[in-house]
Parts: sequence; structure tokens; C-alpha cells
Amino acid sequence: MTPPGDKPPLLASRLSAPTPSQALRRLFLTLFLRGRTSRGLDKKGAPKTIGRKISLILLVYGAFGCIALSMMQQPVFALAIYLHAMTFAFLGMFVASSAGEVLFNKEEADILLHRPIDSKTMLWSKIYVLVEVSLFIAGAFNLAGLFAGLGSPDGSWRFPFVHALSTAIEALFCTGCVVLAYQLCLRWFGRERLEGLMTTTQVVVSIAAVLGSQILPRIIFRFGSTMTLNESSWWFMLLPPTWFAGFDDALAGSAARLSWVFALTAVLSTGLVLWLAFVKLAHTYERGLQTLEQTISKPRSRKQRRRWLYWLVTVPPLSWWSRDPVSRASFLLVTAYLIRDRDVKLRVYPGIAPMLIFPFIFLFQKGAGMGDLGIAFCGGYLGLIPLIALSMLQYSQQWQATDIFRSAPMRGPAAIYHGARRTVLLFLTLPILLILAVLVSVLRGLDGEILLLLPGIIALPVYSLVPGVIGKAIPFSTPIEEAKAASRGANMFLALMISMLVSTIASVAWSHGWFWPFMAVEAVAVIGLYIGMRHTLANMRWKSAE
Amino acid sequence: MISIDQLTKRFGAQTAVDALTLEIPAGQIVGFLGPNGAGKSTTLRMLTGMIEPTSGTATICGFDLRRDPIEVKRHVGFVPESGAVFESLTGLEYLEMVAALYGIPPDAARRRIEQFIAFFDLSFETLTDKLLGAYSKGMRRKVVITSALLHNPPVVFFDEPLDGLDANAAVGFKALIQTLAREGKTIVYSSHILDVVERVCHRVIIIDKGKLLLDGKPDELVATHNSGTLERLFTQLTGGTELEQRAEDFAKTFRP
Repeated sequence: MTPPGDKPPLLASRLSAPTPSQALRRLFLTLFLRGRTSRGLDKKGAPKTIGRKISLILLVYGAFGCIALSMMQQPVFALAIYLHAMTFAFLGMFVASSAGEVLFNKEEADILLHRPIDSKTMLWSKIYVLVEVSLFIAGAFNLAGLFAGLGSPDGSWRFPFVHALSTAIEALFCTGCVVLAYQLCLRWFGRERLEGLMTTTQVVVSIAAVLGSQILPRIIFRFGSTMTLNESSWWFMLLPPTWFAGFDDALAGSAARLSWVFALTAVLSTGLVLWLAFVKLAHTYERGLQTLEQTISKPRSRKQRRRWLYWLVTVPPLSWWSRDPVSRASFLLVTAYLIRDRDVKLRVYPGIAPMLIFPFIFLFQKGAGMGDLGIAFCGGYLGLIPLIALSMLQYSQQWQATDIFRSAPMRGPAAIYHGARRTVLLFLTLPILLILAVLVSVLRGLDGEILLLLPGIIALPVYSLVPGVIGKAIPFSTPIEEAKAASRGANMFLALMISMLVSTIASVAWSHGWFWPFMAVEAVAVIGLYIGMRHTLANMRWKSAE
Repeated sequence: MISIDQLTKRFGAQTAVDALTLEIPAGQIVGFLGPNGAGKSTTLRMLTGMIEPTSGTATICGFDLRRDPIEVKRHVGFVPESGAVFESLTGLEYLEMVAALYGIPPDAARRRIEQFIAFFDLSFETLTDKLLGAYSKGMRRKVVITSALLHNPPVVFFDEPLDGLDANAAVGFKALIQTLAREGKTIVYSSHILDVVERVCHRVIIIDKGKLLLDGKPDELVATHNSGTLERLFTQLTGGTELEQRAEDFAKTFRP
């Protein structure tokens, strides 16, 4: 027996072992680079650096950051607000989407929780990787901005260095805030509610990012020259990105007194957030990890919700729409995942959220002809919702469970896909359609312009069949690591272009008085495409599961 | 070696482990049995520091579970039922990572891993080139067992360790734990394969609904209860009555 204080024999011979912290940092970075499951992954082909892993994303961010070059004539504070607000939104989106998986991974509990590592070490190691990736993203987006600051009327040669430093502090602040939000929610509301809350947060952050990217540059171009700090601009203090902009302005810009206050706020708030998240509440994190191992009894309301859903599919009109039992079962499965599965929720809802913003921006846009086009575009954009949602529903952590579809006596995945399609159309597309219709009615009245939504609505069945026809017919059947952002982006861009084209033709047709002939042509085309795609889907066979 | 006093775990209103009290000395192989949901895995997870007890205490190698959880973890090895591993690491990367968590220097870790490779008939190429996600279930289980023993812990908890192992590996594994026990290690072995438990374990503990039902040597318990086998004794104690008849009745429902 080993008496207390003695180490087992092998441990006594330790020489220069890597510390647990180093081992964990290396582990979590490897997991980030390779993903957590290895299907379809060859070790030799796996990315070796963060840059290689997310090179395309970094390129997009880098290109997007070039907008800052058009603000070279703006004061440092205005430019820095834009850069920090966008960085804040992008980092917020990245950290919010990654933190849940990184911080609270259920599979990981069985592997690591019985090892001699304290929760702080584990937390810090994960944060290290999150911050490292955040800095890459922030660096890519701010690269052009570093030089834009040199051209500012009140800018100095120090701007690139100061802005790089403030961006790094902002990355720490952002990561700390998300982790702190997780810990506080966990402490106050428990894990079940935390997941719902984080999904909502992520959706909100996604919307804020898109809104910010649309609205901020316009505001800066309009008010840039007057956007300087003085005693009347105290309210900027309410917006965290302005603290970091104040940091830039204090050290490499106008050096106004208020800028120094903002700079100090940035440093102190970052310190406070880091202390709370990683020191004070580290124990909450450990408890959170332990709850992952616990079976939580389901609240009664959830059971009732499930019964309500089962009742819904057995009564008209849903029972007429979903007569086939396989489609009905798939409908229930996909609905259950959209309601309950954290991983699916975190992918689908934030994925479609930004798509909802553009129609609203178009709807509120003023200018010649923009009213008609805005409404038509809203309708056209609706098609992207089933397209994106059904594409995202392909991915799941439980992809292996879908083998049950293959072993069932079905010739192909058509019936399963139709169930998923109906869920998306009913629970995701229809509510948004109703909201848009109400909004158009309120903003434009009921004098006929609402009919401009029709071209988009008519095309919905075709849009909803596209993912199935291009080989994404089985929901939850693909590991999350295979969610290729690049190809998805290309598909979405193509669909967006088609939507814009149809919307433009529809609005031109409306203003020239040949809207109904156009509708007739579109309806015929849609019916033809729909029949063809249904036929293709019905003849689709299972692919070999290798 | 292991001392458990009134250990209790509640999940909301449900009591998973109810005031469990036990003493397990060094060098003993203890079969830890119970039907599904009896509280076995919860007990093992508490004893390995994975979940916090609601009340009660336990000490392992003299270290208190609540006061010195890290020292407890340093002195135990655990093979969880799930057999979870990081699938995107190679076997060698995984084992080296585990070794680092216990502070084992790389050269010592490599020597130790090579010993396990030889024992389990693993190929070094597989361990270095293939990601764990591509391993068979048995291979993965061997890696998990290796990772539990790598730091030479005085106490080892096994939760269904034979799951996925082929017959040869299973025989080798049973011989290994018997040898380890002779050399003073304490083994807690949770399994549903009762004939293996009967042959390998010095002592059997049966729990149900979180409570201790029976504790003793397998042959003595079987003799005392006049049940013939440990399996029969287990079903008697845990309410598994008329199982053959029930199976027969159920099978009849498949008839056309």
C-alpha cells in the first residue's frame, strides 16, 4: 500500500515531463485542428496549424477587413469603433459557437475527469486555444485596418502597434465574456437552461454581427467627421467596443481626456472579466463538467410538448400532408432535434438568423424602386431558409445512429427527407413568412404590393428539394467535422444570386404591368422542376456506408 | 486501501447511491455487481472524483476524496464503461497525452507504452499511424486499459473492461488483474458477466437501488444462500424471478 504523500513508483522517477497544462493545450489544439471524430480524416492530411485549418475563413475576414481602407480619412476614434465593433461581433460569433463544444463536451468527461488535473488548468488550456484562434480571426480582419489608421487625420505611426494590442485585449475580453456568461448561467439556471440561453445568445450575436456590418459603415460615413470624443459622448461608454476604440485614440489618436477614461475602462473590465471567469468561477466550471455526467430528470413540460407534437401529426391538415408513416416518423425526429438537441440548435438557428436580416434591411431601405424590390427580395430570400436549414440538418454528433435508416426496409432516403423538409417548411419557414407578410402589410399597406412575396413563396417547394437532390437527403447522417464552410458558402451564394434575379425580374414585371404572366411562367417552371426533383429523389438509392 | 463511509449521491429526488459503507484492503479483487441502474457506475464515478458525492466520505490510499481529489485521482486508474477516447488522436498520441497528465517523462512513458503494446499484441505502426476513430472496438478498449494502468496506480476501477475484447485478450486481461492483485493493487471490477466475476474476484459486493445487498466471498455466498451459482444468487437477490418462463412467453409472441 502506498502511504499518504508517497508517489507510486513510476511517478517518483519523473524528470522532464511536460506539465499537464502543456499537454492539455496541445490536446485541445489538436482536437480543434482535427475535429473530435475522425471519420474521413487521414492523419497525414489533417491540418497542422490554425491558419491551414481556417485559411478560407481568414481570407474572407481579411478581404472583409479591407473595407477599413475606405475609412482612411476618418478620425482614429471613428475608424477604431468600426474595427473593434466588427471584431467584437466576429469574435463573439466564433467564441459563442465554439465555447459550448469546447468547454462542455460530454464525451470528454469520461476521458479526463478522473485524471489528476484541476478544473482551472483544464479551463485555462481550453481558453488558451480559443484565444489563439480568436487572435488569428481578429488579426485577419484587422490587418488592413492597421494601415488605415496611419492615414487618419489625427493618426500616428503608433496606430498599428496600439491597435494590435487593443485587438488582443479585446479578444481576451470577448472570450472571457462568453465563458463568464456560460458560468453565470450554469450557476443560476442550470445546464438545461444554459443550452437554450446560449442558443439564443448565439442567434442574437449573429444578427448583431450582420446588422453591425450593414449599419456601422453607413453611420461612420454619415457622421464620421463628427464622431469624436467629448463630454457629450459619455453614452459611448455603454458600448464595449468603444472602450477599445478609446484605447487606440488615447495612445495613437487625439488623446482626448475621455479616450483615456475609455482606455482605462477597457483594461480594467478585461481584467475583471478574466478574473471572474477564470479564477473566481473556475469551481463553477468543474461543477458544470460534473453535471454533464449526471442524468437530469426531464421537466414535465417537455413531456407535454412531445405529446402535443404527436397529437399534431395525427390531426388534419398535418395528417393529410404527412400520410406516409416513414415521413411522419422523420418529421417527429427532426422536430425533436430542432427543439432539444443543443448541437443541432446551435448550428441551424444561428445559420438561418443572418439570412433573416437582409430582407428587413431591404424592406426598410428607401430610394427609387427599392420598395417593390425590397418586398420581392423578402419573398425570394425565404427560399434560403429551407435550403440552409436542411443543409445544416445533415450534420450531427450522433451521425452513426442514422445507420438505422439504412437497415430499415426502404429503397432510398426519399421518405425520410420529405419528413425533414416538412418540419423545416412548417416550423422554420412558415413563421418567418407570416412575420414578413405582417411587416409588409404594416409598412406598405394592403394595396397589392404584398403580392410581390408570391414569386418567392411559389419557389419554396423547389428550394426545399435542392439539398435532397444534391446528396444531402439523410438528416443527421454526417459528422460535424465534414460541415465544410467553404462549399456551403458557395451554394448559398449561388442560391442568393438566383433569389436576387427572380426578385429583380418580379419587381420589374410588377412595375411594367406583366406581373401575372411572369407568375404563370414561374409557376409552370416550378411545377416542372418540382416534379423532376421529386422523381430524382424517389429514385435515389442508399449510398454505400463506408 | 479504499474506505467508504455513508457515501450517498442524489440526482434531484432520485437517490442513486444510498449511504454505502465499505472497506476494501490492498491486494483484493472486488466484483462490484448490481442490475442496470443499481448505482454501480455512479459509485465508481464518485470514487474516481468524476462526480461529487451528495454526502458521506471516502478515502483512497489515505487521501480524502473531498479534501484531496487530485491526489486521489493520481492514485487511481479507471476504465469507464463507455471506453471513450479522443478519436482524432492516434493511439500513441493519446497515451502520451495521458502520460503527460500524470507527469510521466516522455522516455519513461514510451517504455511503458511499448510494454503494453507487447502485452496486448498491438502493432506499433497501428498505434502511430491510425487515428483511434479507425480502431476496432477491442483495440480501442486495449488502449483505454493501457491508459488506466500507464501511471502504475495502486487502485484500479474497471467498468465492464472485457467489452469488445477478443477471447485471447480477455484471458490475458484476467490473468493480468490477478497478478496485479497479488502484487498489492486493489481492483474493483464492475461487470454483468457473472461467471467471470465468480472466477476472478476474491470478494463480491452486490448493490441494488443504491443500497448494499450482499458482501462476501463468492463461494461462501453461493453456499450460504444455497443458490448453486453466483448468477442464480444475483437473480434471486435483485428480483429476477422466473426469467426462463418469461423469456419463453415472450418468444411465443413472435409466432405468426
